[in-house]
Amino acid sequence: MRNIRLKHVNKAFGDDVILENLSLTIPGGSFFALLGPSGSGKTTLLRLIAGFETVDSGEIYIGDHNITHIPINKRNINTVFQHYALFPHMNVFENVAYGLVVKGIAKGIIEQKVRRTLKKVHLERHIYKPIQRLSGGQQQRVALARAIINEPDVLLLDEPLAALDLKLRERMLVELIDLQSELKTTFVYVTHDQFEALTVADYMAIMNYDGEIEQVGTPKDIYEFPISSFVAKFVGSTNIFKGVLQEKNGGFTVEVPELGCFEVAMSKRRKFDIASTLLMSLRPEKIEINKKEQEGFANHLTGTVEAIIYYGRSTQYTVKLKNGFKVSVFEQNEEHFPHEVIDYDDVVHLYWQKENVVLLER
Amino acid sequence: MNRDINNTEVSKNVSFFMALPAFVWLLIFLYIPLGVIVALSFIRKSVVSIWPDFTWAHYLTFFDSLYYSVIVRSLTLSIITTAVCLLCAYPIAYFLALHAQKWKNVLLYLLALPFGVNFVILSYAWFFLLEKNGFINNILTSLGIISSPLQLLNTQFAIYVGMIYCYLPFMVLPIYAVLEKLDIRLIDASLDLGATRFTTFWRVVFPQSIPGVSTGFFMVFIPSFGEYVIPTLMGGGKFMYVGSLISHYFSVLRNLPLGSAFTVASSMVLLIVALFFYWRFRRMVS
Repeated sequence: MRNIRLKHVNKAFGDDVILENLSLTIPGGSFFALLGPSGSGKTTLLRLIAGFETVDSGEIYIGDHNITHIPINKRNINTVFQHYALFPHMNVFENVAYGLVVKGIAKGIIEQKVRRTLKKVHLERHIYKPIQRLSGGQQQRVALARAIINEPDVLLLDEPLAALDLKLRERMLVELIDLQSELKTTFVYVTHDQFEALTVADYMAIMNYDGEIEQVGTPKDIYEFPISSFVAKFVGSTNIFKGVLQEKNGGFTVEVPELGCFEVAMSKRRKFDIASTLLMSLRPEKIEINKKEQEGFANHLTGTVEAIIYYGRSTQYTVKLKNGFKVSVFEQNEEHFPHEVIDYDDVVHLYWQKENVVLLER
Repeated sequence: MNRDINNTEVSKNVSFFMALPAFVWLLIFLYIPLGVIVALSFIRKSVVSIWPDFTWAHYLTFFDSLYYSVIVRSLTLSIITTAVCLLCAYPIAYFLALHAQKWKNVLLYLLALPFGVNFVILSYAWFFLLEKNGFINNILTSLGIISSPLQLLNTQFAIYVGMIYCYLPFMVLPIYAVLEKLDIRLIDASLDLGATRFTTFWRVVFPQSIPGVSTGFFMVFIPSFGEYVIPTLMGGGKFMYVGSLISHYFSVLRNLPLGSAFTVASSMVLLIVALFFYWRFRRMVS
């Protein structure tokens, strides 16, 4: 499978610089998610790959093939649009067949391929229905079928599930994963929803507000080892402490003003200089919360419970520390009748191990 | 549940009363006069009897070549006017709807501006352009394209120019209205699926604009068939069209039955042709 490579791509609309010197390699045959907040330029990036927009400078390759100046209708890339963009004057069959019809493929082959493709997206029973009579999820499937029938090198999906309700979205995500592993086509999935991205992606790229790619990696890599506080906060949620790195008795600690010293583990991935200022990212679910004092933890803080949000499978506590800092903690609701009930204004102890902290430069 | 039912009943009554004035208006000023004309067309012109005498005779005169040729001439005028308007209006509407952007409103205003001026006045503006010593002849002579001025005014050419000029906005606006609502992402989708711009136009844009084309077609075709003012002014009264012939019957010859019969007969021709086109458009949509 051929990789998609973007090399030093620049794109601006008037004075509005969207992408600046962006380089990215999307592994061929993978399910790749492009995750970023609204306005991060991820849709522009997608439109550049599709060919709706042209780069101001830079190059785009598929394998060794430079497609930078190939017009959209000559690129073997298809898009599933956010609002499907199905042709309202055509029925399901005509919509799905469109790409083949405009290429002048024989009628018999088209018929055969449409049926086969509709089967893949479980729409074979709706083949001659007008588009307006389909539900949102079915329209989504038609959009998918219309794209994959052309056997593209790359399938681009621009927030394809944004208009669907939660349950349907979860089901479509699973279907998308199945479809991708069956077709082995490179899927590039643009979303601002970290849950979707984490679910579907083999690899993902995180874009920030400046249109820069902060980090590329597997979902697990990105969640467990974020490269910056932006990534840590955008993918999942986290508590960030600012402190100074120190060496003590052969180990490392971070001194956070007003809160004290915390033991940290220095990962092999990234080295920090002693005495440098850095950020400590601590995920809420990696903290133990308890009313009684515990043994065997490297780090400890105390505070009072300020807010409790019950999510069903977990509960989120907001704990206010003595210096006014607020720490968010998730606790699994494992027990039907918890032996210890934490309530508002309770004094609680927070514990974590030194491996649970990720050190960040910014 | 009960309240809902009551509400719909109330709203039915209300809408009935709201439609009533318009209906009465149409009844008095359209259907009754129309009935009178149909009735008149069967009456033998007679000064002797009080009770009218019915006859088909007026209708038989239409197989006369004069009336026949007037209807054909009018039909030709309205079909060519409609066709030329369509060919000119579509690109204008397309540009306005999809590419004019911030100039859209200014251009639309300019397009609708002639509506604010009576056509009699507008046609005098055309006189200045088309006269022997008018703008067009002057330019053509000074460029050396022609040696002596052309006779432009009071010709069929002038009539066609006037008709197309006058009816163009009626074609542009309905087409503009549908194209303006067209989801341009569908154009993106079509290109994305490998279609050329040309194919995209014929397979995606045009089919969706057919309702607007159809509306524009009838808004130009039907009134231009009976158009009276433009052929009279621009043609200098030298060419007889359906409108001018009807007016000739009623106001010059004072032959009301024959005029009525001609009105009914030409309306029938128009109705049949219009229904044919309506049927064609319906088939294009489905």
